[in-house]
Amino acid sequence: MTIWWLIVILVTLGAIGIAFVWLIAKLSQLHQAEPKQGVERLLDAVNSDVEHIFNEDFREELRNRGRLHFEKIIGENAMFLQQDLRLTTSQLNEYMKQELSSTLRQEFSKYEESITDAKQLAIDSIEKTKQTIEEQRSLLSEQLTKEVAAEKQRLIERFEQNMADIINHYVLEAIGKQIDLNDQLEYILSELEANKQAIKEDINHGA
Amino acid sequence: MEHETYVLPLQIVGKGDVLKLKRELVALDEYVEQLKMRQADTAIEPHNLPKTSSSLNELSSANHLKWHIDKDRTAGIDFLNRLIEHAPLVHISFASEPTNAFMRKIDKWFRDNIDPYVLINVGLEPSIAAGFTLQTDNKYHDFSLREHFLNRKVLLMKSIKGNDHTPETT
Repeated sequence: MTIWWLIVILVTLGAIGIAFVWLIAKLSQLHQAEPKQGVERLLDAVNSDVEHIFNEDFREELRNRGRLHFEKIIGENAMFLQQDLRLTTSQLNEYMKQELSSTLRQEFSKYEESITDAKQLAIDSIEKTKQTIEEQRSLLSEQLTKEVAAEKQRLIERFEQNMADIINHYVLEAIGKQIDLNDQLEYILSELEANKQAIKEDINHGA
Repeated sequence: MEHETYVLPLQIVGKGDVLKLKRELVALDEYVEQLKMRQADTAIEPHNLPKTSSSLNELSSANHLKWHIDKDRTAGIDFLNRLIEHAPLVHISFASEPTNAFMRKIDKWFRDNIDPYVLINVGLEPSIAAGFTLQTDNKYHDFSLREHFLNRKVLLMKSIKGNDHTPETT
């Protein structure tokens, strides 16, 4: 708005200046066209009138008024221009704010979407990893349980076997020296009798 | 040794006894031969012989052999040689050292039931605790208490486990 006003004022001032120049030019033509006497007379009259009307004080006053009017117009226009600039600036700020907010909102939305996707991807990956780890843990646990059970069974068997050997050894040590050989004669003869045939065949074949 | 006519006394148990007897009998034979060379015109009588071991005496009495007679000595030596070469041999081990009387009973059983000329080498194996082990040229028989326990190890374990699960009723 203010720019348009400024342009109108400048155009008006320009038109006034052109009109003023055109008026001086016409007067100059008139001055050249009339006979020298009439012209001179008119010029003199004009000059005297001009001198009379547009004396130095009047001119000074006109200049002052013009200056004041011009300053007033300039001030008003400057004020309008300032208002328009402020308005434009505020609108521009508002527009920039809106644009920036919109852009930022869109970007944030995109970022948020990307983050959400990445988060979901990470969660899925973590879930898969967790599932795999759980399966591995379950498998390992099962294998470990089996191994422990087998090892336990082996240890128990070894312990039982050793225990039987220990008991046997203890009994043999304990009673071995207590049994008189003469007391064993009956047992020995009975064993020999029971295996007589085998011993006989063995000796006959070997002889 | 199937057609052997001589008897092997129970006092002669192992191959070592036979070898010892053979050495003694050979020495006696050499002594008699030397005596005959020294006293060519005198007949050899039993009282001319040196004192012999109880085993040699037993051998002579069991087979009616007279050691002052050359033929009997030669027969005795031949018999002992045949025993050394052909008699069946068994090795029997006990947990402790057997007495002579004990070994005579064992020897009698072998001579009566297995072979009349069987020779028994006696060994000592304290780890068997009781019973005996018998080894021939072909086989090893274990009739010891140790083997008996080893064969019944499973039964022992069953008994122990059974006792573990049995509630106390005291």
